[in-house]
Amino acid sequence: MKTFEEKWTVWVDGQLSGRELAEFEASLPDKAAAEAERASAQKLGKLLKRELGARTLTNEEFFSHQLRERIAQEGGEISRAPGDRRIERSTWWTIPRLLWTGIVSLAVFLACTVLVMREKNPTEESQYLTQILNARVDPVVSPNATVSIFEVKQDRVTVLWTEGLQSLPADYAAK
Amino acid sequence: MQTEATPAQADVSELDLVRRCQAGDTEAFDELVTRYRTRVFGMIYNMVHSEQDAWDLAQDSFLKAWRSIKRFRGRSSFYTWIYRIVMNVTIDWLRKKQIKGAGTEFDDAIQLRQVDPASKTVPKTEALPYETMERDEIRVRIDKAIAQLSSEQRAVILMKEIEDMQYHEIAEALGCSIGTVMSRLFYARKKLQTLLRDVYENI
Repeated sequence: MKTFEEKWTVWVDGQLSGRELAEFEASLPDKAAAEAERASAQKLGKLLKRELGARTLTNEEFFSHQLRERIAQEGGEISRAPGDRRIERSTWWTIPRLLWTGIVSLAVFLACTVLVMREKNPTEESQYLTQILNARVDPVVSPNATVSIFEVKQDRVTVLWTEGLQSLPADYAAK
Repeated sequence: MQTEATPAQADVSELDLVRRCQAGDTEAFDELVTRYRTRVFGMIYNMVHSEQDAWDLAQDSFLKAWRSIKRFRGRSSFYTWIYRIVMNVTIDWLRKKQIKGAGTEFDDAIQLRQVDPASKTVPKTEALPYETMERDEIRVRIDKAIAQLSSEQRAVILMKEIEDMQYHEIAEALGCSIGTVMSRLFYARKKLQTLLRDVYENI
């Protein structure tokens, strides 16, 4: 159901026809005044078309040139990514990209740390123990002396077992 | 609706150009711009009454159209589709300007006298000075009258009277119902008739 304003507009534009036209015109209290208003509206339309319709774009070629430049600025993205979705994504893609870079960096760092720590373990033997291992018992002083070492790396326990040792080497205390 | 297309250009269908644009062909888009730039600029100019602003808004509208051309499905004509973009950009700009309250909307009334935008369409014979003055005055009166309409009423009356667009095309361009278009047209005409009656009755 059209309102009066809607029917009036269609009537002014000459697009009301048939039964609807007859009904509308019959409903007008003063048809002569309505006709005058319609003529007035049509004159207004002609005036607007004549005065405003003539406005043109000066420097048309420069307008297109400027637009081409602006499109070309975005063209880099377009040529790298033919799909328009990629252009739209280009901004928010950086966030997950940064996130992934961070996660991967952290993983690499942790892996390196574990490797370095593992490599350090064999060298955890004390310098003191190494010196004892390298010490030779003088066969003249202790001819039957034997030296045994038991080491459990996991528990970090080392047992030095000596037998037949008659006296400690003189330089042992110094070491 | 009329376009700027020459017979040679008209051979290339609009839909074909749009499809090429959707494949990333900037030359095809350039051709569409050539067809519609003057009408788009003129429409925006009549809405904002500033040559510089109209230029910028027309540029922004075409750029926006280029960015979203892949979303154009061809259900309406390209012209109606781009008009929707133009109207969104322009009405949005007018609303922001109103909120900012920066000056009057008719700062360019003086420019109209200096640069005649219709210089290409007026007869080549020199107009008499008083005729030029009279015409300028009429334009200023029209611009001031249009400025008293809401941006939506402006858009509707300009699309109807200048562009000869159908109700459904205007409705599509503005994203409203046909009834709303008719209603806005009714009130816009009434207001302009009140403000400009002496102008068009005495010509």
